[in-house]
Amino acid sequence: MGSYHLGRHLKILEFALSSMLRRRTKNLGLVLVFAALVFLLSSIVFLTGALRTEALATLEASPQLLVQRAMAGRHALIPLGYGELIARLPGVGSVTPRYWGYYYDIYTGANYTLLGIGDQGLESPGSTPLRLVEGSFIMPGQRRVCLIGEGVAEVRGTRIGGMVSLRDARGWMQEYEVIGLFASPSRLLTNDLILLPEADLKAHFGMPDDRATDLMVEVYNPHEVDNISRKILERLPDARPISHAEIQRTYETLFNWRGGLLLAMFLGAMAAFMILAWDKATGLSADERREIGILKAIGWETSDILELKLWEGAALALVAFLAGVTAGYAHVQRFGAELLMPVLEGWSTLFPAIDLAPRIDPYALGVLFSLTVVPYIVATVVPSWKAAITDPDRVMRAS
Amino acid sequence: MSRKMISLENVTRVYNQGRPNEVRPVNEVSLDIGHGEILVLKGPSGSGKTSLLALVGCMIRPTSGRILVAERDVAKLPERFLTGVRRDTFGFVFQQLHLIPGISVLENVMLPLYPLEIGFTAAKRRALELTEQLGLTHRKGFKVEALSGGERQRVAIARALINAPQAILADEPTAHLDAGLSGELMQIFETLRGQGKTVVIATHDPLVHDSPLIDRVATMRDGRILDGDG
Repeated sequence: MGSYHLGRHLKILEFALSSMLRRRTKNLGLVLVFAALVFLLSSIVFLTGALRTEALATLEASPQLLVQRAMAGRHALIPLGYGELIARLPGVGSVTPRYWGYYYDIYTGANYTLLGIGDQGLESPGSTPLRLVEGSFIMPGQRRVCLIGEGVAEVRGTRIGGMVSLRDARGWMQEYEVIGLFASPSRLLTNDLILLPEADLKAHFGMPDDRATDLMVEVYNPHEVDNISRKILERLPDARPISHAEIQRTYETLFNWRGGLLLAMFLGAMAAFMILAWDKATGLSADERREIGILKAIGWETSDILELKLWEGAALALVAFLAGVTAGYAHVQRFGAELLMPVLEGWSTLFPAIDLAPRIDPYALGVLFSLTVVPYIVATVVPSWKAAITDPDRVMRAS
Repeated sequence: MSRKMISLENVTRVYNQGRPNEVRPVNEVSLDIGHGEILVLKGPSGSGKTSLLALVGCMIRPTSGRILVAERDVAKLPERFLTGVRRDTFGFVFQQLHLIPGISVLENVMLPLYPLEIGFTAAKRRALELTEQLGLTHRKGFKVEALSGGERQRVAIARALINAPQAILADEPTAHLDAGLSGELMQIFETLRGQGKTVVIATHDPLVHDSPLIDRVATMRDGRILDGDG
């Protein structure tokens, strides 16, 4: 009995698949439209996930407390004496000056971040999330050398042993030999990064010896960060302490803004999908109506017809969903989300090209599934149900 | 007439009731149909033959009156049960045949068995028997659109017989057949009667209603069966 029951479902499934093959042109068209929409939606989901991953990775690299100096509301170089004062505050572990700045490359139209590496942390830069993929780190005392990120290497068309030319603060071209290529969990963080010996960087930007770009402050007890920030402000009114939490909020704002644009596209694509589903719901072809009438007339029950249409809708929706999600993944993974990148146009001038690793979020995919496959199946079944509950004698009158 | 299989008692079917375009394709019809009988419903187009056939075959419900199938009133049965009665009792041969294009002869014949709890192999075996009986074995794998008119007609009959129904209801079955094929069709109906099946044919084709194989003819006009025919 059980196998008979299963056999009944299998027979209806077989007929559903053969019906789909009979209407292959129409169904292929539907699969393509459906898959295209799922492709767009899943690309957005994957890209948003990738951006969040980037944000998290970037955040991990940020210091517990960063102290900058503000002058006339703008970021200014900070005296190293500030660091000595901060280091004396109870609860502060260490204070490390950072030397960095932006460099606009007129030839490639890209912005680079130049970061100076002091003699202390050169051989084993474990304090940064950087990972050397080729070459070596800067050795103590080494000059006129640099390490570059993969994005810079690509834009500059250079590798280990090549030269990177940068115009310094005096307008003179300075050449640095590339001795290493690095990567990090966040391409956003390092894609545009050039590491120079600290002395070279200070000379390049013409920075005074007693100044740094900002100070990284290590606090023994993370719960004391706000307290120490307050103490710094009390002693150094022109200092601007930025805690890890504040950096996190900044990144969230940045990525949420990007995510917001993507969300707008997502909603647009969803609207297009709903129109497709509505069109399907309201439009049952004369052929389909006739076939439903025939099946009713030869003894199929309404529930049998609903099962048939359920199989048809599910098969089409699943094929389209899988195709769309696979294409969306490939779009983000292999082709750098080229179709969506205009949304991120602002970054393309700040960074060399970035490759984003899509992140598969089962929850997001589940939501996408329930927002596309489920409504499509419902949209398929409802008009069939309406047709199936009409008198089968209509088929006797249809010419 | 042999013992009653189907009885219609004062059956009326009204469309658009109470509106200016109200029509009564079947009006106060009483009719008994016996087991193993070949009955012809004869009449001009629009006389109500097809509607009466649909009522007999439980495809539509009467607006008033009773329809008894094997002495059971089916007029007020819920849809699910009505489908069961239709499936177990009747096999339909439509005027336009209504075969499903794009699938094979065998699949078309098997179609009524798909939603039933009968295994695929058994269903196929039964369909093969019927295609053989109706001389369609050499065409069983063909798509129906590749068949001649007469062959399609036989596919429709095989499909109507696959559930082993007690009655075959045929609406204008010779409408698209020439005289030779119409004669062949009548022979098939005669064979079915020989197997104890009831055959009800709605037609205005003289080749059918004047055929000596017919047991009884009921003449319809304006939704009614003329006196003496019921």
